[in-house]
Amino acid sequence: MIASAKPSMIKIRVKRQDGPGQSSYWQNFDIPYEDNLNIISVLQKIAANPKTRDGKTVAPVAWDCGCLEEVCGACTMVINGRVRQSCSALIDRLLEDAPSGEIVLEPMSKFPVVRDLVVDRARVFQSLKKVKAWVSVDGYYDMGPGPKQSRAQQEAAYPLSECMSCGCCMEACPQFTKVEVERKAGESEEEYQKRAAEAYNVAFVGPHAINQAVLFNNNPTGQFAKAERLDALMEPGGIQVCGNAQNCVAVCPKHIPLTTSIAQAGRAVTVHAIKKFFE
Amino acid sequence: MAKKRVVVIGGGLAGLSMTMKLSELGISVDLVSLVPVKRSHSVCAQGGINSCNDATRQLGDSEWKHLDDTVYGGDFLNHQPPVKEMCDWGPKVIDLMDRLGVTFNRTDEGFLDRRRFGGTLYKRTAFAGATTGQQLLYALDEQVRRWECEGLVRKFEHFDFSAPIIDDQGVCRGAVIQNLHSMEFLALPADSVVIASGGPGLIYGRSTMSVMCNGSAASRCVQVGAKFGNAEFIQVHPTAIPGADKLRLMSESARGEGGRVWVPRKPQDPRDPKTIPDAERYYFLEERYPKYKNLVPRDIATREIFDICVNDGLSVDGDKMCVYLDLTHIPRAELDRKLGGILDIYQKFQGVDPRDVPMKIFPAVHYSMGGLWTDYEKSSSGGLVVGSSRNHETNIPNLYAIGECDYHYHGANRLGANSLLSCIFTGLVVGPGIETKLSASKTAAADLPSALFENAVAAEKQRQKAIIDRPPSSQNPYQIHLELGDVMTRAATVVRRNDQLRSALATVAELEQRAKVASLADTGNWTNQNVIFTKSLQDMFPLAKAILQGALQRDECRGAHFKPDFAMPSLTAPTRDGRLLEAEQWCDRFEENTAKWVKSTIATYDKGDMKLSYEDVDTSLIPPRPRLYGLVGAEEIEIVWNRRAAAKAQGNPHAAKAAASPAVAST
Amino acid sequence: MANELTFVQKHEFLLRRLHSLTGLVPVGLYMCVHLATNASILNGVEAFQNAVYMIHSLGNALVFVEWGAIFLPLLFHAIFGVYIAYSGQFNTSRYSTGKNWRYVLQRITGLIAFVFIFAHVAHMHGWFHVDFWLQLMEKMGLAQFKAYNAASTAAAAMQANLLWPILYLVGIAACVFHFANGLWTMGITWGLWITPKAQKRADYIVWGIGGLVMLLGLSALGGFMTLDPAKAHDIEVRMYEESVKSGRIVPNEHKLSHPHVSP
Repeated sequence: MIASAKPSMIKIRVKRQDGPGQSSYWQNFDIPYEDNLNIISVLQKIAANPKTRDGKTVAPVAWDCGCLEEVCGACTMVINGRVRQSCSALIDRLLEDAPSGEIVLEPMSKFPVVRDLVVDRARVFQSLKKVKAWVSVDGYYDMGPGPKQSRAQQEAAYPLSECMSCGCCMEACPQFTKVEVERKAGESEEEYQKRAAEAYNVAFVGPHAINQAVLFNNNPTGQFAKAERLDALMEPGGIQVCGNAQNCVAVCPKHIPLTTSIAQAGRAVTVHAIKKFFE
Repeated sequence: MAKKRVVVIGGGLAGLSMTMKLSELGISVDLVSLVPVKRSHSVCAQGGINSCNDATRQLGDSEWKHLDDTVYGGDFLNHQPPVKEMCDWGPKVIDLMDRLGVTFNRTDEGFLDRRRFGGTLYKRTAFAGATTGQQLLYALDEQVRRWECEGLVRKFEHFDFSAPIIDDQGVCRGAVIQNLHSMEFLALPADSVVIASGGPGLIYGRSTMSVMCNGSAASRCVQVGAKFGNAEFIQVHPTAIPGADKLRLMSESARGEGGRVWVPRKPQDPRDPKTIPDAERYYFLEERYPKYKNLVPRDIATREIFDICVNDGLSVDGDKMCVYLDLTHIPRAELDRKLGGILDIYQKFQGVDPRDVPMKIFPAVHYSMGGLWTDYEKSSSGGLVVGSSRNHETNIPNLYAIGECDYHYHGANRLGANSLLSCIFTGLVVGPGIETKLSASKTAAADLPSALFENAVAAEKQRQKAIIDRPPSSQNPYQIHLELGDVMTRAATVVRRNDQLRSALATVAELEQRAKVASLADTGNWTNQNVIFTKSLQDMFPLAKAILQGALQRDECRGAHFKPDFAMPSLTAPTRDGRLLEAEQWCDRFEENTAKWVKSTIATYDKGDMKLSYEDVDTSLIPPRPRLYGLVGAEEIEIVWNRRAAAKAQGNPHAAKAAASPAVAST
Repeated sequence: MANELTFVQKHEFLLRRLHSLTGLVPVGLYMCVHLATNASILNGVEAFQNAVYMIHSLGNALVFVEWGAIFLPLLFHAIFGVYIAYSGQFNTSRYSTGKNWRYVLQRITGLIAFVFIFAHVAHMHGWFHVDFWLQLMEKMGLAQFKAYNAASTAAAAMQANLLWPILYLVGIAACVFHFANGLWTMGITWGLWITPKAQKRADYIVWGIGGLVMLLGLSALGGFMTLDPAKAHDIEVRMYEESVKSGRIVPNEHKLSHPHVSP
């Protein structure tokens, strides 16, 4: 763990884009090295003093972040070619792995860029609507506890439920391709969102939503809507699009057994489809 | 008449439970959040959620005991009727969350597993691994998404709450919000606006809070006349992991599951902690608090850790302050099952596996007990009148506050695992009150003259334009924020001294002036994070001043507010009789102090300054009594106090009940 | 919205599952039978010729079996497979896990198999058994296989140019990889193997099958490359005369090589 001579400057290369539909460009920044930095603190330093390597003052780099402890999912981006949360991307570790000493930051490539490293992940949440990722309770009055569950059931459900909708699995999935709905002139925000939702609805739902469908199909109450969720998984953009590259499980920061969920959903859909065909 | 709507600002536990409850009641909601609501700060809550339950009940626990622990832990600054209602609802709230699919840990028989948390002797805390807040938030997020599909909820995610819209009569009629991407302003007419925007941790620069917890929503209400209560009561969590960008929480559940806090008896002992024998370790919380041990209330644990490092010089590291939090004696499988989430965080950010090596932790700013002042209607049984439109209404009609940004529940110090309860509870209980409010009014906000809304939007546009058009200056908002965090952390955290508070107030005033002229690096009109940050920075100052002034004026020690210059003394007489005599004086002074200071600090905004006043606290259910955790002479004080309480009790049934469960003291 | 969907989008689930299914039945299974039949050349010209006689005992029905049970499912699998391959985005440069490489290779081998099988059918079978077409193909050195001179025509066709055995080696390897890996992904798609452990076990099974099938392929290839077409031809002529006499086969000019006499 004894790192080789620490650099005096950290070289940061950022892929920037001023707005949707515009072309991207690269900028380089040098940040004085300190111990225990992460990408967030580096971006904070750039925001406080947005000067490029050649001394030009530029607009600060825009990026998303929230909890800074890898439970909210906001700060996901592509760092040195790999999608991950920038809060848990520690500079010392990155420098160990990148001998060139340069750290390259890019926005996720599968979602429309809003600005710089900020992307529009509405599709992630749209997919949760599509698979009805919730327990349809009657209401919120006191009806006593939910059904008893074994420890084994809880231990199977908990990891699936840790998904923070960060988008890593979708970014790394070769079957998940970008859908960018351009705004039309004069279109209201609501109209745009409706149109975007329709486009997202027929594109691949991604591992994240399949996993959520499995989570709720295994819930003692959630399973009452199992057939609806499986129907959703058979619609355009459903589970059939999966190509089994299994990148999702490799990049998931929460180590969610996504491929297990996908196979489980595959089995459930097989049975469901055959039953439906002969019913 | 147009349809009545409610605007909810903030999509954490409180905002979501409110939205979900209103939807159930058939009320349309516009839900506004800086981030997609699934990414709200509630995800960071780790340890669990409290309620009395079937198992603890049989060991003598009750909702009343939960209330008692909460107000005793909160040093009697809690408003007792809402706390009583919350504790009564506790079991129901957890049942509901269970029904919504929260993956609570289970016992072998399939019941909800419980762990013990600080400030209580009962295992009240239900938990889902060590990511309970995340799991609860997701369950509510899912329900709200369901209502969104049903058309009852419109989400405005990536929107900033710019200001409440107040009409000529001083009534709230909606909210101006701003799209963080297109930077456009929008007026949302509303028949009630609910602020559920969480805590203001960013005022302290680095804290355990998320980056959006900047307090701006509460501050913007304060700046149009909303009262702010108990600002000076800021909880400093005893166990956090220091970081350059954030102080990451290490949940109290680590201690709830058996984690032990210690330092080597030899200052900065260079040995590998695993090789230091037990006899050479100082388990200072266990030694000083034999009853609660590592699970004393947070304010006390924090002060002890601070004391060990600063006064005793026993910090583990020489160059930075930290103590060991040790889990290595607990089997790995159990740790993974119950604490996996937080241990992974430690491992990820520190590069060390806490299952093998004791963690190094230090206190960090964590929670604001104070918040927007709100009203409530007390029921005959001492709780709340459910359905009363007064519940959680601020002093601005139609403007409500719930969750961390209200001020009733946690007094001077919050008990662990009570915040998740208070957040969900306030959403659920205030929903019917808002329904009452809406049905009582004959007009809908949407039918009001459009000029009201247009003017509100114009004012916000003007504010932003003025900031963007500032002439270039050497003042940088991010630099000013760093300095603000620094001065606040120095002056208004664990230990507070009046001279430091005074000088901090002067510094903050100066920083505020600098912030007013700070110019932006980005003057564009698309996803301009610079201007949003600058606005929120400016809005930090009223709250920062409220915190400092509240702390300065409160010359006493109460919960998280600790002023050594005004600490109640320990008893020093060598004999028991002598100590009993001292205890009489001690109790006199305590009663005097109670009469003077069991009061909420109320801050109001007045042309840039904060004016303080004090308001009585409803302590009708459980009269204040000395909080004696670990005090030298506690035994004698308790004797004297109980005698006095019994004498008083003859006239007051609640007091009698309290006397029957005397102060839990240790030493 | 729904009316804007393309046919493929609308029936995406059915088409994908059919694609997955046709990969095994009939295409994959046919490949196994086909390679096993061809590998019977190692048992001698007679064994192979007998196997071919058996297949051709279907007579006029053969063309329907060929097209209905083999060519059409194969074409569907191939064409829809190309669509699938082009609908994804390879990213092994960023995520170079074994599984991701297999995802890429599945698509590349699919494309190779497409080209190879197209060429192979043209080379041996000629696609359409219509006189003018066959004559055209034969002039180009294609449509070489004659069922009643099975081994000799196959061997001659293979030995005609060194490029053929190279193409066949690459093609068969691609087909076998595609088949074995396809079995594995199919097991996930249909929900046969669920957990990573089960998928690991399934890996051993599918690669075991893949190895065996590759062995069959290599045997067949080796068999035809080392066969002397002239000697084989003599045996076939003798077998033909006997079989016609015994009524085992119906004489058919199209299934013979020309000239069809022993030297």
